Amino acid sequence: MHSPPARLRALRAALLAVVALAAAAPLVAQESPTATPTVFRRHADRVIKIQVVEAGSGAKAGIGSGFFVSGAGHVVTNYHVIAPLIHDPARYRAEMVDGRGAARRVSVLAVDVVHDLAVVHTGLRTPRHFTLGPGRAAQGDRLYSLGHPNDLGLSIVEGTYNGHLQHTLYPKIHFTGSINPGMSGGPTIDAAGRVVGINVSTSGDQVSFLVPVERATALVARALAPGYRPPARFLPEVGKQIRAYQDVYLREMFAGKTKTVELGRYRVVTEPAPFFRCWGDARRGKEQPYESVDHACSTDDYVFIAGDQMSGMVEVQHELVTTRSLNPSRFFALYSSIFQRDNTPGGDEEHVTSWRCSTRNVRNASTPLRAVLCLRRYRKVGELYDAVLKVAVLGHRDSGLVSTLTLSGVSYENVDRLSRRYLERITWR
Amino acid sequence: MAMILEVVDARGGRVPMRLRLDALPLTVGRGFANDVILDDPYVDARHARIALDESGALVVEDLGSVNGLVAQGTPARRVQVAVGTGAEVRVGRTLLRFRDPDEPVPPALPDLPEPVAAPEPARPSGSRWTTSVWAQLAVSAAAVGAMAGTTWLENYQRSSASEVVSAGMGFVMLGAIWAGIWAVAGRVVVQRFRFFGHFAVASAALLAAIAVTTLNQWLTFFFPDNPVSGLVEIGVGVGLAAALVAGHLSLASSMPRRRRWRAGIITGAVMLGLGGVMTLVEDEGFSDVPQFAGVLKPVGPGWIPTAPVAEFGEEAAELREQVDELAREE
Repeated sequence: MHSPPARLRALRAALLAVVALAAAAPLVAQESPTATPTVFRRHADRVIKIQVVEAGSGAKAGIGSGFFVSGAGHVVTNYHVIAPLIHDPARYRAEMVDGRGAARRVSVLAVDVVHDLAVVHTGLRTPRHFTLGPGRAAQGDRLYSLGHPNDLGLSIVEGTYNGHLQHTLYPKIHFTGSINPGMSGGPTIDAAGRVVGINVSTSGDQVSFLVPVERATALVARALAPGYRPPARFLPEVGKQIRAYQDVYLREMFAGKTKTVELGRYRVVTEPAPFFRCWGDARRGKEQPYESVDHACSTDDYVFIAGDQMSGMVEVQHELVTTRSLNPSRFFALYSSIFQRDNTPGGDEEHVTSWRCSTRNVRNASTPLRAVLCLRRYRKVGELYDAVLKVAVLGHRDSGLVSTLTLSGVSYENVDRLSRRYLERITWR
Repeated sequence: MAMILEVVDARGGRVPMRLRLDALPLTVGRGFANDVILDDPYVDARHARIALDESGALVVEDLGSVNGLVAQGTPARRVQVAVGTGAEVRVGRTLLRFRDPDEPVPPALPDLPEPVAAPEPARPSGSRWTTSVWAQLAVSAAAVGAMAGTTWLENYQRSSASEVVSAGMGFVMLGAIWAGIWAVAGRVVVQRFRFFGHFAVASAALLAAIAVTTLNQWLTFFFPDNPVSGLVEIGVGVGLAAALVAGHLSLASSMPRRRRWRAGIITGAVMLGLGGVMTLVEDEGFSDVPQFAGVLKPVGPGWIPTAPVAEFGEEAAELREQVDELAREE
């Protein structure tokens, strides 16, 4: 979790500087069914390009796609496409570019940062728009994804629907087709022109992900409801949405039913929720007079806030060290060095404060522990914190366990609750 | 009216001897056959003569010495210098001053239980363990051993011999350079090249530093985040720097004890000031690396003072206030 996963990095890279990937894998080009040209002809004018422009230089800072969802000119896109505008409205502006290349300034109306969606208003009356409804598709259904890959012009990509992902923090549709950077925010539709999902990310090799259309339907309904007014500043709203969603999935984390795993004579938490992925490894060698076993789990999913800021990541790491040949002093020199190792996510002064840490020796029902809690706060997005809780089990001469809980972009209440539960759940027998 | 000859150490200003010039002539030199015997390596065995010339005036005559006579206020060597009350003639690094016997002296100081600012005894300092060969060897060996030992205890690789040896040798080499510089300085100032004494002083400082660091590690292990450890570190650091400088000066200068310690404490204070400024600058800067400070120690579970987990929440609340404050500062 030191750097965001490859797929989002890839998307962002192209958002920042669109490079024509001439050698990109050919999109599904072979014998396409006769329906595809028809689908494209019918719906192409409902899809637009959205570009974020740096006001000072007038240069494009990023591009994405969007599509009309109302006759009054409302457009749905991804939150991450217009994120620079949310964070620095004075420095960036968003424009839509239609099929003829005419640019027109647009304003953000509503965002759903958790599901990576936004509604923008173009002020352009158009009869050519999609009508959002519940998504209906069965595994294997042929779908068509529209958007502007790498700023190469409006394109259509064929692929198949492969259902909702099973273990994710946020609902996602698995679409087998090549979504590329720049297509973010574009629609994926069925042959009848019904929107099934919104292009959001890819992990390459035709494995792509869509936001289910229901999330967009709900956001559009909220944005178009009579009496809705967009907030003057979106960042507090972004923070509020993240906190509200986290309260749901973090509520029971590390509580009574959490799975545990045995490492030597220690018992620690593992796979805190189904959307975690865990892995482990053991290291022993003739050259080193000790053995170590790693076990780590982290969320495979996150909420994109801006640039290098991801929220909602939870990671647990355990490292068991044992020795047969080192004396206690030398073993504890090793143990201390493992404990002091820094494996926390980096940060940018623009977005986060410096860390502040507090160190204590505490005792749970089973064992004494050295615990260091470090905290830093997000500067712009209200009331969100990164926290690292580092724990070492004390009291043994030839074995030790260092355990780290990393939380990024969570509320203080969750830091407090989860760190206390975490401390209670490390045991020795 | 017989004049008073005052022998003055030209650099220290001390007066090892005063003499009434009753019978003339008198010979002056380092040799024991002289009337006035000077303990100054720059003075010849037979250096000068104090006599009356034909006109009955008091003169100092050079007896063909290496460094000659230098009269007060003139840079050139002279063969013969006429002297009156208040005159000064330099022989080697010693000053011969001529004074009036009727000059008044201040009243005696009362000898109270607390000696009041009595002038320092005029013995060359550094005459304790720093000048005993066996003590020097013992302290130096202990420091090299401690350096190697702590390196071994902090090493957790299978073969640690090379690191241990290089730590010991490293100290020997750096210590030798350090002691060499001080010894050369001592040779220039007090004509004594006390290399092993200076090495022993540096060794003692290292031993003290290792001892205090170790104690402090245990203190912070048992009581992490205690406010004392940081102060102990600073206080001991300044104290050690002061003691180190004072120790070296005791061997390499003829400064009185109080001046040596004053120099040491000033050095320590300057270091503290520089360190403080650097810490301030660092604290002001942004860092995305948290400090998981503190060394863990092999202590049985029953011996470690601990707080219940529930109390950890209070710590967290305090941290939150700190970072909220940082976020507000912008």
